[in-house]
Amino acid sequence: MGTPGGDLIRVMAAGDRDAFARFYDRYAPFVFPFVLRIVRDRADAADVLQDVFWEAWRGAAAYDSARGTPEAWIITRARTRAIDRVRAVRRRGETFVAAVDEATVGAPTPPGGDAAVRAEERQLVASALAQLSEAQREIIELAYYSGLTQREIAERLAQPLGTVKTRIRLALARLREAVTPT
Amino acid sequence: MSHEPFETLAAVYAAGALDGDDLVQFEAHLPGCAECQAAVREAQDTLARAMLSARPQTPLPAVREALVRRVERTRGAGRRAWLTWAAATAVVAAVAAGFTATWVAVRYEARLGQMARETAAVKERLTRNEAALQEQVALYRGAVELLRDPATRVVDLRGQGTAASASGRMIWNDAGGGHLFVAGLPPAPAGKTYALWTISGGTPRAAGLFGVDASGRSAHRIAPEVARGAVGVFAVTLEPEGGTPAPTGPIVLASK
Ligand SMILES: [Zn+2]
Repeated sequence: MGTPGGDLIRVMAAGDRDAFARFYDRYAPFVFPFVLRIVRDRADAADVLQDVFWEAWRGAAAYDSARGTPEAWIITRARTRAIDRVRAVRRRGETFVAAVDEATVGAPTPPGGDAAVRAEERQLVASALAQLSEAQREIIELAYYSGLTQREIAERLAQPLGTVKTRIRLALARLREAVTPT
Repeated sequence: MSHEPFETLAAVYAAGALDGDDLVQFEAHLPGCAECQAAVREAQDTLARAMLSARPQTPLPAVREALVRRVERTRGAGRRAWLTWAAATAVVAAVAAGFTATWVAVRYEARLGQMARETAAVKERLTRNEAALQEQVALYRGAVELLRDPATRVVDLRGQGTAASASGRMIWNDAGGGHLFVAGLPPAPAGKTYALWTISGGTPRAAGLFGVDASGRSAHRIAPEVARGAVGVFAVTLEPEGGTPAPTGPIVLASK
């Protein structure tokens, strides 16, 4: 560890390839499960990861520590790219959805089945979220992982828009306590 | 009412979920508010730290290898490109020396003239956008100022008739005037305009004319002089351009 993330980014901006490798080694093992949780496909997640770190290398000079931590810098970028990917895949998929549905109807459940999938998904969920209530976790997941807007969430949960906004704010306040070392 | 609503918007904004008028309003407010900038920064950091708390998983080594190769290639390519450019420049310099200076000057002056025109056009576009943005920021600032007064009311207006999907919000102070924000209103047909009326004791009083932008939005300031006495109902009608002393057209928005 040693060098703070912000310093690594500054050295990267000067064109230091070694700093880039260190930056990748430090953050990729955390960014990867996050991206995988959003895109839910390992090949897609690997592609997104590559784009995110490539952009970090190219954009290192634009990093301004006054505007956010290195963690926020890389995660915000990863979230945007991952959600873009999901939307692109969905657009591509819409054309085929009917055909795929037809082909998979009656297909046997794979060994381990849903339980195995659920167990893997649980591992991908950030552990800080476990400290939220079920309802708070749900709203953070809909906004941050699924990329729904406040109106879409309100519609999905059949709740007034004002309630959704307040719930997001409260969930974030709770999350802040969860990530603050005591 | 206070700065408090913005604190909620800041959280929703950081979570990437803000949309519609809230987004427009917040993005106009954010550049001028250090408190909200700090709130957004902090919420984004909270989310990042929470997301990084999942059990780490090392991605396939192939991803790292591909990236490292790519990073090395750019530097190599960069150097090669520079060498090519340097070589080409040397050739151009040698050839140019063979031509008359006038020929070169004419050619470059034409190009410089074109660049100057392009630059001027870009600058003008920027200035125009900036002016519009500042106007918007000033407008929202005015609304926020008004909201600081405890006597200020916030009244929702609902779409009526053919404009059923439109919505409006009036920030009103009987002494200080108001701000009307409108969304989802179709642009007024040629020769027509929207008119706002304040109604007290059954008597409508004209409170200004306004249009909407291409996306159906409008922000309309009502001067303090217009606010005389307690207003019961706010309504918007479609009227001939230039306005009328009393409402004649269909009601498109009204408060309860
Ligand atoms: Zn603020």
